[in-house]
Amino acid sequence: MTDPETQKTIDTYLTALRKQLRELMEEDATDIVEEIRAHILDKTSSGSSPEKVSATLAALGTPEELASRYRTEELLRRAQLTRSPLVSLRSLLHWATLSFTGIVVFIVSVFGYAVGGALVIFAALKAAFPRATGLWKTVYPDGSWGLSLSFSNGTPPNGQELLGWWVLPIGLFFGVGLLFFTFRFGTWSIRKFWRPRTWPQPDGPTNLSCVGGV
Amino acid sequence: MKDTTAVAVPESAEKWEIQLRKGSLELAILASLWDGTLYGLEILRHLEDSSDLVVVEGTVYPLLSRLRSLGLVTSEWVESDSGHPRKYYRLTAAGRQRAREMARVWAQFSASMTSLLAPLKKELRKENP
Repeated sequence: MTDPETQKTIDTYLTALRKQLRELMEEDATDIVEEIRAHILDKTSSGSSPEKVSATLAALGTPEELASRYRTEELLRRAQLTRSPLVSLRSLLHWATLSFTGIVVFIVSVFGYAVGGALVIFAALKAAFPRATGLWKTVYPDGSWGLSLSFSNGTPPNGQELLGWWVLPIGLFFGVGLLFFTFRFGTWSIRKFWRPRTWPQPDGPTNLSCVGGV
Repeated sequence: MKDTTAVAVPESAEKWEIQLRKGSLELAILASLWDGTLYGLEILRHLEDSSDLVVVEGTVYPLLSRLRSLGLVTSEWVESDSGHPRKYYRLTAAGRQRAREMARVWAQFSASMTSLLAPLKKELRKENP
């Protein structure tokens, strides 16, 4: 690698690849970039003409193509092992960009996390503002009535509060339960519906397809 | 969602061939590591030298990464004379087992296909004597 121009071409390629792999764990991304660097250096060791470097890079595909072959497999594999809902959700988002099943699983997960999270927050609010938080039954003048799980900063809404302190354990129980099941649902869905393709291929025809696959 | 690992019929023989090559690459890589450790480019060269598999370089590395995450191969960085380290791959016990199973299936499948294709063979011989 003497020619600064070809060196620059290689560096640009690897930097772009690195950027495309940012969703992966730090050490995995570094490992991949170093392996590809070694490949390029080995390929071009006997006289690194600009043509040879271009041909080597072309054979690898664009950084985007190469990264996408790594990324999907890696993210979804990690989602099955992770204990972090955030990692799981991020992988589901990636899956959602790839298939219809992914979109459905992602929407259900977001809904589950939102409702579960809201219930937990509600239980916390009950502990902090007991008088303003609760399940209220409001009777309207025309005789109809409605239930509202609400937090009102200031005067409590008109009507009868039904649960009292029970809001706290019930909210916690169902909230945490829902968060847990949403998380399990995500990992279960990936295991059940995601078929890793033996051959990740952004190019060429995808003939071995499956529902949920690309 | 029903699990339909349906195989769509490729529109042309050429596409079918691409599919076939791609499907067999996993076994080809495991087989090339049967006798020892190799780094990525050595695997590629081995595949090109000892078969007419046309291997796209940008697909071998992600596949190796997947084989590693499945525990079929392990990898290790080794310093080299060339001035940069190289990542060497080695089959694990599970990888050996997998290669053996795949090779067995392959042999059976290939034998069945060969006998099924016997009538066509005569045809081909007639066409190009």
